Amino acid sequence: MKTFASVNARDAKHAVTLSQQARRDGKVAAFNGGGSDLLGLVKERTLSPDVLVNLRTIKGLDEVSSSRGMVNVGGLITLDALGRNQQIRRDYAVLAEAAETVATPQIRNFGTLAGNVCQRPWCWYFRNGFPCYKAGGNQCFSVTGENQFHAIFGGGPSFIVHPSDTAPALVALEANFRIVGPSGERMIPAADFFVLPQRTPARENILADDEMLAGVQLPAPRPGTRGTYHKVLDREAWTHAVVSAAIVLEIEKDVCRSARIVLGGVAPIPWRVPAAERLLIGQRVTPELAAQVAETALAGANPLRNNGYKVPLTKTIVRRTVLELANRTA
Amino acid sequence: MKKTETRKKKHTSRREFLESTGAVLVAATAVPAIQAQTSETQGSPAPAAPRTAIRLHVNGSNQRIEVEDRWTLAELLRDHLKLTGTKIGCDRGECGACTVLVDGKPAYSCSQLAVWMDGRSVETVESLAQGGKLHPLQKSFMEHDAPQCGFCTSGQLMSARALLARNPHPTAQEVQAALTGNLCRCSNYNRYVAATVAAGAGNEGRSLQSVSRSAALGASLPTLKTVGQPTTRIDARERVSGKATYSGDVQLPGMLYARVLRSPHPHARIRKIDASQALAMPGVKAIVSHENCKFVWGAGGVAGGVQYNDQIKKITKQRRYAFNNPVRFAGDPVAAVAAVDRHTAEEALRRIEVDYEVLPFVLDPEEAMKPGAVQIWPEGNVSLDNQNEAKPMTQQRGKVEDGFRTADHVFEDRYTTAFVHNAQMEPRTCVAMWEGDKLTMYTPTGGIANCQNDIARDLEIPTDKVRVICQYMGGNFGNKNQNQDSDLIAATLAKQAGAPVKLEFSRKEDFIGMHGRWPTIQYYKVGVNRDGTLQSIQLRGYSGMGPYRKNSGRMGGIEIYQCPNIESVIYPVYTNKTVSGNFRGPEFPQGFFGIQSMMDDVAYKMNMDPVDFVLKNMTRKANDQVDYTNYSLDECIRRGVEAFDWKTRWRPKPGSDPGPIKRGAGMSFMAFRSGVGRSNAIIQLDGNGQYWVRVGVTDVGAGAKTTMGLIAAEALDVPLSQINVVWGDTDRCPYSVGESGSRTTIMTGTAVIEAARDLKRQIAAKGMPKGSDVLTASANPNPTVEGGKVRATYGAHFVDVEVDTETGRVRVLKYLAVHDCGRIMNPLSATGQIKGGATMGIGMALHEELLYDPRSGQALTPGYYGHRVLTHRDAPEIEVIFLESDDGYGAFGSKSMGESSKVPAVAAVGNAIFNAIGRRMKDLPITRSRIIVALSGERA
Ligand SMILES: Cc1cc2nc3c(=O)[nH]c(=O)nc-3n(C[C@H](O)[C@H](O)[C@H](O)COP(=O)(O)OP(=O)(O)OC[C@H]3O[C@@H](n4cnc5c(N)ncnc54)[C@H](O)[C@@H]3O)c2cc1C
Ligand code: SF4
Ligand code: FES
Ligand code: FES
Repeated sequence: MKTFASVNARDAKHAVTLSQQARRDGKVAAFNGGGSDLLGLVKERTLSPDVLVNLRTIKGLDEVSSSRGMVNVGGLITLDALGRNQQIRRDYAVLAEAAETVATPQIRNFGTLAGNVCQRPWCWYFRNGFPCYKAGGNQCFSVTGENQFHAIFGGGPSFIVHPSDTAPALVALEANFRIVGPSGERMIPAADFFVLPQRTPARENILADDEMLAGVQLPAPRPGTRGTYHKVLDREAWTHAVVSAAIVLEIEKDVCRSARIVLGGVAPIPWRVPAAERLLIGQRVTPELAAQVAETALAGANPLRNNGYKVPLTKTIVRRTVLELANRTA
Repeated sequence: MKKTETRKKKHTSRREFLESTGAVLVAATAVPAIQAQTSETQGSPAPAAPRTAIRLHVNGSNQRIEVEDRWTLAELLRDHLKLTGTKIGCDRGECGACTVLVDGKPAYSCSQLAVWMDGRSVETVESLAQGGKLHPLQKSFMEHDAPQCGFCTSGQLMSARALLARNPHPTAQEVQAALTGNLCRCSNYNRYVAATVAAGAGNEGRSLQSVSRSAALGASLPTLKTVGQPTTRIDARERVSGKATYSGDVQLPGMLYARVLRSPHPHARIRKIDASQALAMPGVKAIVSHENCKFVWGAGGVAGGVQYNDQIKKITKQRRYAFNNPVRFAGDPVAAVAAVDRHTAEEALRRIEVDYEVLPFVLDPEEAMKPGAVQIWPEGNVSLDNQNEAKPMTQQRGKVEDGFRTADHVFEDRYTTAFVHNAQMEPRTCVAMWEGDKLTMYTPTGGIANCQNDIARDLEIPTDKVRVICQYMGGNFGNKNQNQDSDLIAATLAKQAGAPVKLEFSRKEDFIGMHGRWPTIQYYKVGVNRDGTLQSIQLRGYSGMGPYRKNSGRMGGIEIYQCPNIESVIYPVYTNKTVSGNFRGPEFPQGFFGIQSMMDDVAYKMNMDPVDFVLKNMTRKANDQVDYTNYSLDECIRRGVEAFDWKTRWRPKPGSDPGPIKRGAGMSFMAFRSGVGRSNAIIQLDGNGQYWVRVGVTDVGAGAKTTMGLIAAEALDVPLSQINVVWGDTDRCPYSVGESGSRTTIMTGTAVIEAARDLKRQIAAKGMPKGSDVLTASANPNPTVEGGKVRATYGAHFVDVEVDTETGRVRVLKYLAVHDCGRIMNPLSATGQIKGGATMGIGMALHEELLYDPRSGQALTPGYYGHRVLTHRDAPEIEVIFLESDDGYGAFGSKSMGESSKVPAVAAVGNAIFNAIGRRMKDLPITRSRIIVALSGERA
C-alpha cells in the first residue's frame, strides 16, 4: 500500500483541523470511519491519501439520543449498532432495515453510518482503476461500455448509481445531516446533501474539503407512520443494491396521509419520486393504485443499453412494497 | 537486471514520458493502467513509512508494537506476529478468510489497519484451543468434515464463535446469516452450518447423523472394515486450528517479497522497458522482464491443450514465456520485482516505465473467426493442435445430413456459456529458495511431481535439482495443476537476488493472470422421430481460449446420447481475454449446459416428460459404441425420480403456475471418465509398528491424504491410527499423477494396495521389524481395463426452483444429487465433494461471470464481489444419494468423484427454470436481468 500517516481525531472539530493541517502541508487527507470502503480504494491506488484522519477515536459520536422529539444519530455509529437499536427499529424501521442489508456482519460491525453515506461509487470502471470522471478524469466508460448496474435516472456525465443503502432511507425519513467544517457546523436536509454528477462530476455530495458528516437528525415520528426498505441483490447477500426502495407511509384509518418513496440503485443520488408519492395522498391503497404509483415512479426513466430491466424490476418493487406496507397491521 | 549500481536519473514526469511516446498517450486515455499512475514519487526513494507504537491485546497477551501506519491487521498478525492461521483470500473485504474478532466482534483483518487496533483486543483462530484442548466448535467442524481445503475455515470458525457467544443455540438460518460474510469456494456451506448448529446445541462429540443415503447396487460390494466408514480426516486438527501450513504461510530468513507488473492492454508490443527508477529504489533487490528472463512456461500454453511433455516442447510453434512480448491479454506479466517488503515491491512496479505499442484486439471467439479479424498469432486464430495444425476438433459417426432428412422434426438452437473463474480461495503464492544449484519451491499445486518436472524442464535444470513442497493448499478446481508462471518468476528472482523470494498474487491478479473456464458458443441441430428417437445430432462450437491454449477447449456432452448420426466440430479460438484452462470437469459443465438444455427443449417440443426422453435416448455405451465396465445411469435416474418425487414437482406444462412466483423442476445426468492408470506408492514399517505411507499427493481439499490412509489401513488390516501418511514433498514421496482429473483415489489408491500387499508378504517372510529396522515396499502398478472397455462414474441431479417472474429471483428449494461413484471410501468427505460441485454449479448457472469491457479489453469483475461467488445465504441443502456399484476395477471398487458433481448441475438448474417459467434461458449466467428481459420483453 501507499505510505500514509494515520492521525487520531479527538472530536469532530479536531478532525476538521487535522484535515486542514494536512492540506495546508500540501498533503491529501481523507477521513476514515470503518475503512471498509476507503482501504479498498487506497489499495487499488484510486485514492492516494497521505494522511488518514481517524474518526474512530472520537468519543460519543456513535450514539442515538433524543432531544425535543428529534432523534440524533451520531455519524460514527456502526451499521450493526444502528440495525439493532430498539428506538430506531421501532420508530425508523426503514433505516434499521437498510442498515441490516449492507454487506456482511464483518462490514456492519465496523462500517459507520457516515462512511456508508459517503462511500464512493461501486461502478466497476471506477473500482478497477479506470481514469473516469469519478477518478478525476474527463470521460465515462460505462455509458458506452458495460452498464447493467448503472443509472436509469439522472445520469450524465457519470452514470453511477448511489451505492449507499442507508442513504435512500435517510432521504425517505427527511433526515437532516449535521456537517462540521472549517467554518463550524451546519444542518442541511438529506435530499440536498447528495448531488448529481451534472453539478460535480467527481463528487457524490456537497461536502467540501475538510468537511465531515458528524451525524443525522431524524424528525419525530408521526403517528401511523410505517416504513420499510426493500433491496434487490444479485446474489442473496454481500452486494450493493441492484435496485431498492425506501418507503415511508403515514396511514390513518386505512387512508394514506403522506408518502415518501425513495429509490436506490437507479440514479447517482437517492431518487425521490414526488409525483408517485402524491397519488397516494388521501387514498386507500389498492392493488390498482399501487400499480399506478409504480408506473408513475418510473415514468421518464432513461435506460442505457444494458439496464432496461431495471424499469420493470423497480416498478415491481415499488408496487409490492407500497401495497405490503399499506396493508400491514400497525 | 540485478542491482549493481544506483544511478540517479533525470526526473521524467509522466506527462513528458507520455508525450515522448504517442502510442501510450492514446492508450492511457482509453484504459487505466493496472498500476495507477502518478508522477509524485518518480525518481526519488519511497518516502519513509510513518510508524506508530500501539498497545493491543492479542489472544490474551498484551503487546506493545510499533507498526507502519499502512499495515493492515492481517499483515501485522501474519507477517509480524507469525499468527498465520488467519488467511488472506482477497485483501478487499470480499471473502472472509481473514476474519478475526476485534473486541469480540467479527472483523475483516484485511480491511482494518493495525494502527486502528490501539487499545483493542484481537482474537484469532489460534486462541480457540485452550491448553491443547480444542474448542467445541473446532471439534464439531472436524466431525462434520466442514473444512475441505481449509482455507476459509479460520474465518468461518471466528464468525461462528462470535455467534455462539451471543446466541448459544442458533438455528440453521441464524448461522447462515452470521456466517454470510465468509465465502467457501469448496462450497461446503451445508457442513459449516450443520457443524455450528451442532456445536451450539451442545452436541459436540456426536457424529454426523446421516452423511448420505447409501444404497448398494446388487450385493456385489462386500462391506469393509475401515474403508467406507465415515472418518474424520487425519489432518482435520491442523485444518481447524490454523496450524496447516499453506505456501503463503512459509517465511524464510532473509526472504524477499515479489510483485508482478501486468499489461493493462489486451494486446500490445513492448518497445521498451525502463526499470532504472525502480532499481534505484532502496530495498529493491531484483527485477526481471522478458529482456532478462526468457524461460518458456511450457504448461502455460501448449499446442493441442494436452499435458505438456518433452515431445510437445520440441515441436510447438506457439510458445508461452514467463514474460511475453507481445503481451496478448490484459494481465499478461510484463515485469516482476523482488524487494525487502511487499510495499516496496509494489511501489517499485509503479516506477517501471513501459513503452507499449498498442495493438488491436479481439475478445469474442466468433468475432475472432471472421475474415479480417485481428491475428493474435501468425498462424491465425484457430489454435494449433499438437501436430501444429490449425484444425477444429471433430467427431463424426454416420451422416448427420441423412439423419436430418429422415427425421420427423429438426430443431436448431444456440447456447452460450460465460467465462467463469475457478476462484479457489487461496490466491497463488509461492516461495522459491536456492541452495547452490538446488531449488526448493513451496507452491500450491495439485501435483507435486508434475510441477517438479515442469519447473525443471522450463528452467532447464535436472529434475532432481527441484524440490516441490505443498503441504496444504487452498483449493484447486483445475487451477493449480502442473507448474505456474509464478514458480518460474519467483525462482528467477530468487536466483538473481541471491535470497529466497515469496511471490504473491493479489486476488485480482489471480483472476486475470491465471485461467478460468473457457467460454463457449454452441450451435446445435437435432433430428428426432415422432416417437422421440434421436436421428441426428450436430454441434458446431467455438471455445474462447484466450491467447494461449492451456487446455483442450472441448465441449463434452453429445457423446452421452444414443444416436446413429453425430457430428461435432469445435473450434478452439484465440482471443485477447485471460487464458482459459481447466476448471472442475474441464469441458463438461459448459458442454452439458448446452446439450442437456437442448435435449430438454426437444423433449418438451415432442410432448415428452424429459425423464422419459432421457431414458429413451441416453447412451448405454461410451460414445454409443464401446461397452462400459458397468452401467448404472438408468438406476441413478430411477432412484432420483423416486426420491425427488419428480412426478409431483415437475410441471407437465412449463410456466403454468398461477401468479408471478412459479415453481418448476429440472434434471440432468452425466457419465464422467473414471480411468485407471499408472501411479506409485511406498509403504514402510518401522520397529515401533508404525506404517509410513509415502504418496505424492497434495490434497487439494478433497481428503486424499485420509483416503490413502484408509486404503492402507484396510489393505494392511491395521487400525488407521498406525498409519502415517507422508505427502506433498517431492523429496519424500514417490511420483504421483497429481490430483487433476479426479483420479487420486483410483490410481494412487491402487498403488497403495499393491505396496501393502508386498509389505504383508515381506512381513510374512521376515517377521515384524525390530529396533531401527525398516521394511520397505513399493509399487508402481499400471492397471488397464480389459477388452478396451470404458470406466465411467454416473450421476443424475434433480432441482426444484422457485422463480419470481417479476423480479427474476431464482431460489433453489430442493436439490438432489444421485451418484454412482463405485465404492465410497469415506462417506463423510465424499458427500462434501458432491455438495460442493453441485453448489458451484448453481453459482455458474445463476451468477458467475468474469465480464470484460469491450472497449479496453479489461476484466470488470475480477474478484469475489464482482464474480458473484455464492454465499452462505445462497447455498441450498444438497441432498446426496450414493449408489455403490462394483465393476471390479479401482482401489476397492472406487471411481472418480470430485469433478463429476459439477457436470450436470448447471443444466439441471437451467432446465428447472424452464419448467418454472416456460422460457428457455440459453445464455449463462441466467441472471435476474436476463430473466426479466426474457419475460417482460423489455430491451436488455
Ligand atoms: C464487498 C463489499 C460489499 C459492500 N456492500 C455494501 C452494501 O451492500 N451496501 C452498502 O451500502 N455498502 C456496501 N459496501 C460499502 C461500505 O464498505 C459500507 O457501506 C460501509 O458502511 C462503509 O462505512 P465505513 O465506515 O467503513 O466507511 P469508510 O471506508 O471509512 O469511508 C467511506 C468513505 O467515506 C468517507 N468518510 C467516512 N466517514 C466520513 C465522515 N464522517 N464524513 C465525511 N466523509 C467520511 C471516507 O473518506 C471514504 O471516502 C460494501 C463494501 C464492500 C467491500
Ligand atoms: S459511471 Fe461514473 S464511475 Fe462509472 S465509469 Fe462512468 S464516470 Fe466513472
Ligand atoms: S482477505 Fe479479508 S475479506 Fe478476503
Ligand atoms: S473449505 Fe472453504 S474454501 Fe475450501
